[in-house]
Amino acid sequence: MKKLKIFLRSLLKFMALGGYLIFALIPLYWVLITSFKGPKELYTFPITFWPKSLDIENYKFLFSFANFGIYFRNSLLVSLGASFGALIVSVLSGYGLSRIGFKKLSNGLLLAMYLTQMIPGFLLMLPLFLMLSKFGMINNLFVLGIIYIDMVIAFGTIMSKGFFDRIPVSLEEAALIDGCGTLEVLYRIVLPVSLPAIMAIFSFFFVNIWNELFLAVMFLSSNDKMTIPAALNSFISKAGISWGVMSAGLVVALLPTIIVFAFAQKYIIAGLTEGAVKE
Amino acid sequence: MSRNLKLFIMVLPTIILLVIFTYIPIGQEIQIAFENYNLYNLSNIYFNGFDNFIDIFTSVDFNFAQIVLNTVIWVVVSLAFQFTLGFGLALLLKKPFKGRGIYSGLVFYPWAVSGFAIGLVWAWIFNGQFGLINGILMRLGIINQGIGFLSDPHFALASVIVVNIWYGIPFFAIMLLAALQSVPEELYEAAKIDGAGRFRRLVNVTIPYIRPTIASTILLRTMWILNFPDIIYAMTNGGPANSTNTLANYMIIKMYSFYNYGQAAAIGFIIMSILMIYAIIYLSIFSRLERGII
Amino acid sequence: MKKVGLLVLTLVLAIGIVSLGETITLNFMQVLTSPQRTAWWEQVIKDFEALNPNIKINLISPPYEQADNKLTTMLMGKQPLDIIEVRDYTIKQLVDNGWLTNLTPYIATWSASKTLIPLAWQAAKTVNNTPYMIPQSFFVKALFVRTDILAKYGINPNDLKTWQDVLDACQKLYNPSKNQYGWDNRGRNSPFIFPDTLATSFVENANPDNLYILPNGQTIFTSPQYKAGWEMYIKLFKTSPQDSINWGFDSQVNSFVSGVTPILMQDPDTVGLLNTMLDKDQYTVVPLPVGPTGKAYPNYGFNGLGIVSYSQHKEAAWKFIAYVSSPEVNAWFNKNYGPLPISSVTYENDPYFSTGVYSAWAYMMKHPEKYIFSNYPFNSPKWPGWPSIQQADMQSLLLGNISLDAVLAKWNNYWSSK
Repeated sequence: MKKLKIFLRSLLKFMALGGYLIFALIPLYWVLITSFKGPKELYTFPITFWPKSLDIENYKFLFSFANFGIYFRNSLLVSLGASFGALIVSVLSGYGLSRIGFKKLSNGLLLAMYLTQMIPGFLLMLPLFLMLSKFGMINNLFVLGIIYIDMVIAFGTIMSKGFFDRIPVSLEEAALIDGCGTLEVLYRIVLPVSLPAIMAIFSFFFVNIWNELFLAVMFLSSNDKMTIPAALNSFISKAGISWGVMSAGLVVALLPTIIVFAFAQKYIIAGLTEGAVKE
Repeated sequence: MSRNLKLFIMVLPTIILLVIFTYIPIGQEIQIAFENYNLYNLSNIYFNGFDNFIDIFTSVDFNFAQIVLNTVIWVVVSLAFQFTLGFGLALLLKKPFKGRGIYSGLVFYPWAVSGFAIGLVWAWIFNGQFGLINGILMRLGIINQGIGFLSDPHFALASVIVVNIWYGIPFFAIMLLAALQSVPEELYEAAKIDGAGRFRRLVNVTIPYIRPTIASTILLRTMWILNFPDIIYAMTNGGPANSTNTLANYMIIKMYSFYNYGQAAAIGFIIMSILMIYAIIYLSIFSRLERGII
Repeated sequence: MKKVGLLVLTLVLAIGIVSLGETITLNFMQVLTSPQRTAWWEQVIKDFEALNPNIKINLISPPYEQADNKLTTMLMGKQPLDIIEVRDYTIKQLVDNGWLTNLTPYIATWSASKTLIPLAWQAAKTVNNTPYMIPQSFFVKALFVRTDILAKYGINPNDLKTWQDVLDACQKLYNPSKNQYGWDNRGRNSPFIFPDTLATSFVENANPDNLYILPNGQTIFTSPQYKAGWEMYIKLFKTSPQDSINWGFDSQVNSFVSGVTPILMQDPDTVGLLNTMLDKDQYTVVPLPVGPTGKAYPNYGFNGLGIVSYSQHKEAAWKFIAYVSSPEVNAWFNKNYGPLPISSVTYENDPYFSTGVYSAWAYMMKHPEKYIFSNYPFNSPKWPGWPSIQQADMQSLLLGNISLDAVLAKWNNYWSSK
């Protein structure tokens, strides 16, 4: 009886996991097979569920196209740089808000963080552009990186504050009495036990910035500064979508984010905090 | 220097960045919402009171009540499924199993697809004539003519919501998974000793412990779903016959098709006001919950 | 000492030469971007720079879908731009905001201006009857037909001369149980041009300068002939898959290439795309069908190049525009790109644009009594947003949620109100 129960439970779990996987993979499957289809096979009816021949022309074209290597480098640079920058800024502010003695101030600032998420971001592009153009700060990858940091830190602050709130202050108080500075306490005591949260937030930053299209198109003009999403978006033109190449591009663009996920989730699900947090 | 001052200085960089790059633009945006601000005629910008709002509320071409209703359905249904399925996935991933790393990489990837591409790819998959879903259904002999997932007003909203759910599950799964790691094992042990079953342990131990994360992720996600026009704009443009038009999509139409920045900003202002009220009520309920008042 | 003097002298000379031949950098932004088009522009720019060593062109190519928005924003921010691509949809906005230079004085000194076809002058002077840009390409709709599929049903593409012929053919093709449909409908992303091209061809006295207002001052939506045209379009839609209510350009092409709907009305730049997917004997292009009037009022879409009003290098910018607008360069570019060129010399001397699929457009150009090239009221303050309004109403109509009379009354109201 008990065995049957365990078996049924694992079966159920297996089916649930399978269901999630199938749902998640449908578009990836379609993008993947489209990326291997030649132009003559692209639009067939009835549709083909598997390319007749694995055609790697699309991938070849992608890497010969303009400066895909440069775009990749730009994207990687700005995504990693801005994600690390944003992580530092938002961990500091999340911790500050979590530990500051004035509840009213902390709540007010938190609401102010939420406020930034309430307005559709793409409405802010025009005022921001006009403001920065006055200072000649257009077409600059570094400035774009700063904008990206600004784009994600409210989220980072809210989330990290939430996680820090859960960590008992008693641990830190002992260290403070021992003469540790505020930053040192954060670095030595709080961060190690919140690594899962930090990694989750970091992977979120990276993915959002890596995929950002509208700001990149608006704030960058030079071809050699373009990022991957802008390059992929340019496969859509008045005379149609270059599905084959764009699909290949989507597949390639997914790789770094999947690597970041794989790397981050090692920490997210490692259960580092086991036993570390005790009231 | 007092500890509180030090802590405040730690928050300062965030405040400065947000003020410069977000709050100043928001201020200008609110101003534009009350102006005749047409990208067709920029020499003629002037304060026009509530005209933009009146035009939006009374438009005969785009029924505002229907747009609001669509928006509510879009947000509530998407959010409910994203959260439940995302939480479920987080719970499934909590215990180690063989291949968990690869598995989670594969189920999390939807979050990593470029926004503009999601709608395009799914629009093809849902195409009523040569889409993948209809292709599979026909191959299996379930139907012999395609279903107009995006062209039939009965299916269109449901179809775009499915895509939004697909996109949003990983966000909840990742954030809640991280939160689940912080639940001390001892609490479960204690509950087990008390004879609590799995479900009881979930309700009495897990959920209360990670409630702050649940609270903030749901609140943020509500805002993002309401603000996020990409999927609908790419899949249906708000059609057929406005059956999938939401506030965010309407805002894009006002901007890209009407070139009417003033009215687009007014819609943005409406969205912001709705969310502001929602957030205040929501946060006060949660803080009462935390303090055990409710 | 002598050596040093010589060195200084050479240095001075070198600096002098450099500053004399100071290079000007022009910023040129295209909006109808595609990766291929960018490559063609780069080729043109390379040739131009070789001829004009002191001018450098910096090409800006934002993705097509974001380009108009980016252009507006950059102009609002007075960003360094000298040459910009202008299209039928944007010219009014660009002129009214004072961002374009009146090109009259430049054209006066330009010898090739005599070779511009009348349509080019018409397009150039769209706003205020003043040439604010030099057109580069024309987009005129014609009928794309799958010869291989029509042959199976014994239909000769060349017989599709009137819209009634097209409807008959579509109804003959229509067989949903075999997944064979007829008309390739467009349901979204500015679908108005599809029914309007048909319906206006029913109207005896449409106004080519403004298709929506009749010469008697009433809107076209009050015309019974226009209504009869719409009735036929609805019949035509019935031979298209119901799903086409949500089809944009991409779905239309998908449907045409897969053979589901073998009759498609589209622009000449579709040719390049179709040639990668279909063999040349699988499809052809025939002139736009005419209505019972024996006429049609095809819209001419266009794009061109203008000089930004605050540009510091207008002379150099004009040099570039004149270069790319020369019959040779313009013909080369359009051969690659697909749409129709601007110079009469090209139509006379280059067989490319009068043979093969292009014979359809050549025929239309040569028969002005049948094909009256016309314009939508892009200049009207009512125009912005109209494509979205029309789209939602047309979808309601095709879904059967609203009657044709009610829709026409609504549109009449929209276009006749202040």
